[in-house]
Amino acid sequence: MKSVENIINEIERLKPISYTCNKIIEMTKNPDSSINELVDIITYDQGATANILRACNSTYLGLSRKITSIKHAIAFMGLDRLVNLIVVDSAAANFRGGQTGYDLTEGELWKYSVFSALIAQNLAEKNQQKNISFIFTSALLKDIGKVILHTYVNESFNEIAFMVKEKGLTFIEAEKEVIGIDHAELGARVAAKWNFSPDMVNVIKNHHFPELAPPDDLSIPVVYLADSICMMMGIGVGSDGLAYRYHQDIMDKLHFSNIDVQKTIADSLEKLKDVEKLVNSTGGD
Amino acid sequence: MEVIIGVADMKVSNDFEAVLITYSLGSCIGLGIYDSVAKVGGLLHYMLPESSLDSSKAKQNPFMFADTGIPLLFKEAYKLGAKKHSIRTIVVGGSQILDQKGFFNIGERNFTALRKIFWRNNVMISYQHVGGNVNRTIKLEIKSGQTWLKISGSEYQKI
Repeated sequence: MKSVENIINEIERLKPISYTCNKIIEMTKNPDSSINELVDIITYDQGATANILRACNSTYLGLSRKITSIKHAIAFMGLDRLVNLIVVDSAAANFRGGQTGYDLTEGELWKYSVFSALIAQNLAEKNQQKNISFIFTSALLKDIGKVILHTYVNESFNEIAFMVKEKGLTFIEAEKEVIGIDHAELGARVAAKWNFSPDMVNVIKNHHFPELAPPDDLSIPVVYLADSICMMMGIGVGSDGLAYRYHQDIMDKLHFSNIDVQKTIADSLEKLKDVEKLVNSTGGD
Repeated sequence: MEVIIGVADMKVSNDFEAVLITYSLGSCIGLGIYDSVAKVGGLLHYMLPESSLDSSKAKQNPFMFADTGIPLLFKEAYKLGAKKHSIRTIVVGGSQILDQKGFFNIGERNFTALRKIFWRNNVMISYQHVGGNVNRTIKLEIKSGQTWLKISGSEYQKI
């Protein structure tokens, strides 16, 4: 078995989120940044500009007119949607291939990640959160640790499954117990390596532990709730199944009733089509 | 030929080449039915127990809910010659997140809704693999009525 240090070293083989993308995520959190500043940053990066325009002019937006500039793109889709598109485009390459240790075939983890990010965005909007792109990005990348950890989960699957079945551990607790590091902690290490803000590192690290969120913070609860809804719908659920802890107090904190859960599930079905469009429009090199 | 039944979807068939399959059930329920005399089968993948949650969505897509999807599955199978008394039923799914209790336990409520409908209509469950916190996939071969269940992290097993 490899040491935890060796596992962490594998972060190097991932393709980091671009500098432009990182900068934009930070800027959207700052209420003083202007749209013009943001447009300047994107336009300065020719690669990012080309990718965004390609994505905008694909089937994603379904527009009859051609989008020719970043300003034009913002006018059509709004700032949050544009930022989300940039993040999805920048992160996609890391999720290629299947994650066999989690019994996830090609594209499953990525589609789930995008789906979960769209649900989190929707829940954040309903809760009048201002940091929509921050929540979208955190939800999108929260399982990036699985991209590395799946080979180790594969090697130790029987032991992990035994811990879950016989000892009542959650899958993530069993990962930590058997491998020495779990996918959320590893994901947080990736986020830190890519110079994400400490806040985002924290959301990724604790997305299965919403009870550890600061009392006035709703980012972790929202990302957690989006993940729980995906699990119930069976989207992106692999060998880990639904073996994670359910927190009724988080539902209460978000004033989310069982009817709200069901309505979100019913409404989310439509979003699966958006996922296909978004996934097919992004991630080209 | 694999015929995939998506989330909130249903298919019936009498095509000997067809194998109906629905993936990744989570808290949703996969209900397979098969009449070995008429050689007709069907598979439903529903998400939620009751259509009263959103009647317009139920009209648009009855397969989203147990109370609108289940009757339709049987009716469509009858149209292809299936008879109620010779239908075998297979129910899988209805998982829950650990500690998910009461009204919030969608998996359990999905299964309860099915049992109520079956009880009212005198239909028995021939095979069930329901609950727990695993993810399930089910497939049904029309030619033979053979069904397979895949539990997350394991291979397909005949049921």
